[in-house]
Amino acid sequence: MTDSSFILKHPMQVRVFHFILAVSFLTLAVTGIILFQKPLQEAAMNTVIQIHVVAGVVMTLDALAFLFLAFDRVVMFTKRVFTFSGNDLKWFTVLGGYPQKILLHKKVEVPPMGKYNAGQKLFGIFVLVGGTLLILSGWALWTLPHIIPHGDTSMIGTIHLYVSWILILFLLVHLFLGIYMVDDFKAMFLHGRIPYEDAAEKSPLWVKNDICKIG
Amino acid sequence: MNVEVKTYRKGEIPGIIAIDGQNCRGCDACKRYCPTGAITGMFGATHRIDRDRCISCGQCLINCPFGAPYETVDTVEEVQAKLGDKRYTVAAIIAPAVRVAVGEPFGLPAGSLVTGKMYGAMRKAGFVIVDNNFAADLTIMEEGTEFIQRARHALFGEKAEHGGEIGPLPQFTSCCPAWVRFVETNYPSLIPHLSSAKSPQQMAGAVAKTYGAERIFKVDPEFIYTVGVMPCTAKKFEASRPEFQSACNFVKERGGASPGTPYPDVDTVLTTRDLARLLKRMKIDLAAENNAEGGTLFAEYTGAGTIFGNTGGVMEAALRTAYVVLTGNNLAKLEFEEVRGLRGVKSASIQLRDAKYGKDVTLKVAVVHDIRANIRPIVEDVLAGRSPYHFIEVMNCPGGCINGGGQPICDTGSSWIGRILPSFAWS
Ligand code: SF4
Ligand code: SF4
Ligand code: SF4
Repeated sequence: MTDSSFILKHPMQVRVFHFILAVSFLTLAVTGIILFQKPLQEAAMNTVIQIHVVAGVVMTLDALAFLFLAFDRVVMFTKRVFTFSGNDLKWFTVLGGYPQKILLHKKVEVPPMGKYNAGQKLFGIFVLVGGTLLILSGWALWTLPHIIPHGDTSMIGTIHLYVSWILILFLLVHLFLGIYMVDDFKAMFLHGRIPYEDAAEKSPLWVKNDICKIG
Repeated sequence: MNVEVKTYRKGEIPGIIAIDGQNCRGCDACKRYCPTGAITGMFGATHRIDRDRCISCGQCLINCPFGAPYETVDTVEEVQAKLGDKRYTVAAIIAPAVRVAVGEPFGLPAGSLVTGKMYGAMRKAGFVIVDNNFAADLTIMEEGTEFIQRARHALFGEKAEHGGEIGPLPQFTSCCPAWVRFVETNYPSLIPHLSSAKSPQQMAGAVAKTYGAERIFKVDPEFIYTVGVMPCTAKKFEASRPEFQSACNFVKERGGASPGTPYPDVDTVLTTRDLARLLKRMKIDLAAENNAEGGTLFAEYTGAGTIFGNTGGVMEAALRTAYVVLTGNNLAKLEFEEVRGLRGVKSASIQLRDAKYGKDVTLKVAVVHDIRANIRPIVEDVLAGRSPYHFIEVMNCPGGCINGGGQPICDTGSSWIGRILPSFAWS
């Protein structure tokens, strides 16, 4: 396979943003669960919340940096995840063919997808909306609980809790499929490129409409 | 809760507020409301209350976003049982700040003044009314005349009429039990500066079981059960202080029936929240009640008693009395606007002529509320002998009793008064 049979799916700034997001979110998820369950002694709980706060600050800076340094990417991503067609609904009826493939080793017909399949779009929406909510609510809970009316603080705490759980559950699926789709996984964490055939199979509309050959 | 306490006497309730570890999220918000630093626990960990430092003000309880602090003393059942016991005359001592808050739990708009409905509901429940505004008027007479005595002693060397000791200036008010305990546990050398007048609640209890027992209710004082109905959790602590058995001592001194166990002036205390719960348990809808009268002399009061519930109210009322006593004239304008409002420390100078000595005097007064934020510099000045003030009103809660720890918990909060900076909690 020559170099020209690869497509650059994840450019550098996306990979760096995603890497920091992944590390900070995993840290936040683990420390958040500990904070929720409170299994440790006082000093350890304090260390856990300090790690949680640091990871939250890192995630915020990561999001802000990506927003300002790669604004075009943010716009493209937002547009893509919020663009739906009948194919997306059909994709959900067969769940992208993954359960059949993984559990029954059967290949079913999957409607053609763009750069992101319908599941990834849904996840993208949750990451975009949920991540923003988590960041804002986290900062409010950390720095302003004594100023914001406490009824609102309590509501913000509930939002923070439920959005976290939803994103953690999404993350588990995302992690599993990410590792299952090893080429995409390597692209996101290493070189950014995926094989042309792979892209043509999983994202035919993207390859057809958006990809052009360089050089 | 089993930690030994050192700053409570026998009989006193050792701390009215505790934190439920299950609900505490370790967010640290409560620490920013606690006037004494009584809340311990690192950021992120379950918090606890050091009962020796706690003054039971309940500010942590009404400001915790997660409902973790709770009252250790629930008096609702006990009061309901006494209301059902026909041997007892159950007297409700109702504080001024309760009548503008108790409508809320019954669906009335926040701040509705429901004195008549409240009287109606409480009389239906079986209470007789001893309005704390009546006792606040008594407090003002006591506190105001005590202040005049201290001022004349300091300025003109006047001696006590009966040879007793006269306290120093500045005189601090003493009607806030959280503030009194704050002085006792943090600045004991300032105790002589506290007015020797009891709080309105304690005066009301003693009067109800003496004058009230004999002239109004015409029952044996042992069978008067006095219930403070207060915006305040610290009042539960105050009622348990062992020195407040004046009625019992008075009856004993007069050779009256000696009770088996000495009885307190105030038997128990309901907060505004407790009162709403009690009425609901008794299926009495305060909002639907008709306006009623208090029904006794103890429900008569002046406007001075009413303003006790706000920061500056005690001072304003005391100044009115002091003015009349010192000058011999009535005030042309009753309001002292300088001591109103929500500034943390308000001060005023009043020039008047002491008719007895024929001399002009300038009285300097200050009003402090939210002691967490505002009291330390005032106290340090007094300790260092450089305080310019003669009389200082102190209320623990931001805004005064109207925002007390026993009031209905308002989701929009009100204790953000003066807090505008974020806090980056860490350890
Ligand atoms: S404000 Fe409430 S939840 Fe937060 S630390 Fe204090 S008691 Fe716990
Ligand atoms: S009741 Fe008052 S003094 Fe006691 S811990 Fe709470 S805020 Fe602090
Ligand atoms: S200010 Fe009023 S409500 Fe607050 S502690 Fe003092 S007496 Fe109680």
